[in-house]
Amino acid sequence: MLLHDLFFRLRSLMRHAATESELDHELRFHLERQIDKYVRSGMSEAEAARRTRLEFGGLDQVKDECREARGVSFVESLAQDLHYSARTLLHSPAFTACAVLTLALGIGANTAIFSVVNRVLLNPLPYPNPQQLLAARQNDSLPNIEYMQRQTNSFASSGGINVAPMDFTGNGEPMRVHGAYVDAGLFATLGVQPMLGRLISADEDVKGGPRNVVVSYPFWRDFLSSDPHVLGKAIRLSDETYTVIGVMPREFALPKELADVFLSLWAGYPDAAAERDVHFMHTYWRLKPGVPLAQAQAEIAQADHRLAEAFPDTERERGTVLIPLQESLVGDARPALLILFGAVGLVLLIACANFAMLLMARAVARQRELMIRASLGARSGRLIRQRLTESTLLALVGGAVGLTVAKAGTTLLLALKPAELRRLDTIPMDARVFVFVFAISMLTGLLFGLLPACSASRGDIAEALRENARTTATGVSRSPLRSFLVTAELALALILLTGAGLLIKGFLRLRSVDPGFSPEKVITMYLQLPGTRYPQIPLQTNFRRELLARINAFPAVEAAMITDLPLAGNYVGHRVVIDGQPTRAVGAEPQVQTLSVMGEYFGVMQIPIRTGRDFRALDREGQPRVAIVNETFVRQLLPGQNPIGTRIDWARSDEPHEWMTIIGVAGDVKHSGLNQPVDPAVYAPFSQNDEAWRKFMTLVIRTRVPIAGLVEDVKKQVWSLDSQIPVSGVQSMDDLLAVSVAQQRFNMFLLSSFAALSVALAGVGIYGMVAYRVNQRTHEIGVYMALGAQHRDVLRLVMKDGVELGLLGIVLGLAGSIALTRVMVSVLFEVKPTDPPTLICVALLLAAVAMLACYIPARRALSIHPMTALRRE
Amino acid sequence: MPSRSIDLPQGTLDLLILRTLALEPLHGWAVSERIQQISSDVLRVRQGSLYPALHRLERRGWIKARWGTSENNRKAKFYELTKAGWRQLEIEQNAWQKLTAAVSQILETA
Repeated sequence: MLLHDLFFRLRSLMRHAATESELDHELRFHLERQIDKYVRSGMSEAEAARRTRLEFGGLDQVKDECREARGVSFVESLAQDLHYSARTLLHSPAFTACAVLTLALGIGANTAIFSVVNRVLLNPLPYPNPQQLLAARQNDSLPNIEYMQRQTNSFASSGGINVAPMDFTGNGEPMRVHGAYVDAGLFATLGVQPMLGRLISADEDVKGGPRNVVVSYPFWRDFLSSDPHVLGKAIRLSDETYTVIGVMPREFALPKELADVFLSLWAGYPDAAAERDVHFMHTYWRLKPGVPLAQAQAEIAQADHRLAEAFPDTERERGTVLIPLQESLVGDARPALLILFGAVGLVLLIACANFAMLLMARAVARQRELMIRASLGARSGRLIRQRLTESTLLALVGGAVGLTVAKAGTTLLLALKPAELRRLDTIPMDARVFVFVFAISMLTGLLFGLLPACSASRGDIAEALRENARTTATGVSRSPLRSFLVTAELALALILLTGAGLLIKGFLRLRSVDPGFSPEKVITMYLQLPGTRYPQIPLQTNFRRELLARINAFPAVEAAMITDLPLAGNYVGHRVVIDGQPTRAVGAEPQVQTLSVMGEYFGVMQIPIRTGRDFRALDREGQPRVAIVNETFVRQLLPGQNPIGTRIDWARSDEPHEWMTIIGVAGDVKHSGLNQPVDPAVYAPFSQNDEAWRKFMTLVIRTRVPIAGLVEDVKKQVWSLDSQIPVSGVQSMDDLLAVSVAQQRFNMFLLSSFAALSVALAGVGIYGMVAYRVNQRTHEIGVYMALGAQHRDVLRLVMKDGVELGLLGIVLGLAGSIALTRVMVSVLFEVKPTDPPTLICVALLLAAVAMLACYIPARRALSIHPMTALRRE
Repeated sequence: MPSRSIDLPQGTLDLLILRTLALEPLHGWAVSERIQQISSDVLRVRQGSLYPALHRLERRGWIKARWGTSENNRKAKFYELTKAGWRQLEIEQNAWQKLTAAVSQILETA
């Protein structure tokens, strides 16, 4: 029945022309027969025709009723409306362009941010049943992961992974690749399958297991020339031979890590696999179906407790926290993205208010046409529908143009993306984005078309007509809707401006933070010595010393090296004991950053030595062990004590202690980020290193020569010492610093753009209102001036409304800001959301913009010549 | 003639059309003639309202239309009942009979 109805309607619609002619034919046939009948009964031809028409009623009316009965009228009248709208819009290109542009900016900005939100927050992870996947907030060791997996029932599987650089050799220039040390459970936990071959199985993931490797798709493509028969072949990784057993599919990616090759931790690094107290693996957990997170977390807490009891020396401070994988990936980006999404929503609201005002102005301009249509009997519902069609059409075109804006916007976003969004390689415009654009366009068109359409169909037209009459001077009615829209716009713009102001202030504060070193003209690069050829510390030291000597022989170059660079995101932490201080419980000793250096590290980085002295060439192997600590170390661990001469050592190193004597105090360095606190740090010479696993180093080179050539020269020196060592991570300290504040800059840039856009839109809104009023009151102003009013009086007259509304908007906006910017606490750096100077500044700025927007059209009123104004009537 | 005829009560036109078409397929003009003839010119169908009703019934699937040749050899649109139309006729006849019976009962006893 329903289907028949639908089919019938559709057919009528499709066969529109045929249906119309059939209807015509049918009715004419009837009329002819009726006339015929009357003529036969003796009437004259003319009389018969008259009689028939009378009885039948209006032909067009009957046709209309028939069409309605066939159910095509809605669609047909929609088509009519669309046709009519398109025609009238094309006739007023200026209005159309303004409306479309306004909406395109609002919708485009929203779509761009929505695309990011869609990609980052809404898109599911590329693993089966992603809602079952959890990540532990803390790293852990393989024995602990296995223990916890045995002790719990909530998990289907668990897996651990640690990515370390490896050297891929035997294929031309040695390459630095990312090697993922995993356990066999990792792949099962993620639920992934290889494209070729197989994954590492549980029975080979054991001590003494075979050296097998699974490679990533890019590795297979780039380094193994997409060889389909690669399985079983041998490759050289960090001086060991591995057999390729599988290739991952192209679309596979690890949750957080980047990896080119995957190997069993037991096979590739058995010492680390057995180590319970070195927590260096990211761990992933897959819940059994239906198990709630809380239950899993409770079980993990119990397992932690039992582990702590079993291994009190090392596992006392456990507190594993599991979080949904999606959440753990998005992390800090979530609040920022949500704030930006909210902000861009406000921009859209402002754009919509302007759109509504444009429609209202247009309605008044078209009042004559509307009045004529109304007096010809068009029902007001039909008129409203016609105007809604027009506004929706505009909004949809605006949305379409907005998509282009959004495309450009996302390109810009990708260029600016902060480290937290590093997985964001593309921002696809998927179906959800299109639905979003369509939905907000429709909503905008309908909602903001309805406001002025309704108000115009009721009061405004009549009022406008009256205003146009000769009695104008007796009083100009204000449109309450227009006043409301202008006030709301300014209030919203102020809120955005406050948000932007706070972020800018925070960002300036952040940039003015002294990193503790001077980043200019410093280039860095990363090296790692292969363990097989540099197993012992003296070999490593010789290599370092020789390399440094060769680089320092270059003209205009100062070079040094350190284990981990500031702002690069990592460091090794050790617990220390301090000679002369009471012995602390095992595991409760203070933890410090442990950095090894060689060469004039403090000189190259321009880190000041506050007291004592820098390392010298004599502070080398065989000499008394020395250390330099930072100011925070002194403040926290040696309060009120002269640090120079104090002796320290790593906790739990073998007794008797081989004490290191503190010879100097270096200035604090913001190692973990400009907005992070400084941890106590200990610098010690590489040459007095006692840990053979510290095979890596970062060269820091301050230079006045062009960087590109220098990097090549340094590489040549490295390879002349050892052709198998890859050089990677070439970046300038300036870049590192910029990357470390990228998130803040991203937030600030976006919110500032939105604020600028919203202020511009609000300015246009208030400008439009005043200009419209000046235009309306030309006659009144003319009379006023003819009566001798000064320029000042005229300005006051026409600007009064705008300024009043502007001030009201600003006051409301300030209240709104105080209420809303609270959500920004998490993204602000050392600025309170209610920072008074910021609030005052943005209020003044917006007031100035509003004044200007009132003044420009008001000045036009001054040029009104009384006579022309009076004649214009 | 006009003085003797009465306008159709609301909603009965559909029933009359269905009933008329139950005899044989007819074009629109014939439907109106037939109703007038059978009711001995008592019932008068406003001719303009006949066609919207026919189109409405067609849309509901109770009657279907096809083009044929009329008695005076002209192309005309003929309507005939569908199966659903027969069922609907049944339903509406029953309802009408119940209604009229009840109304006359009230008129007689009250």
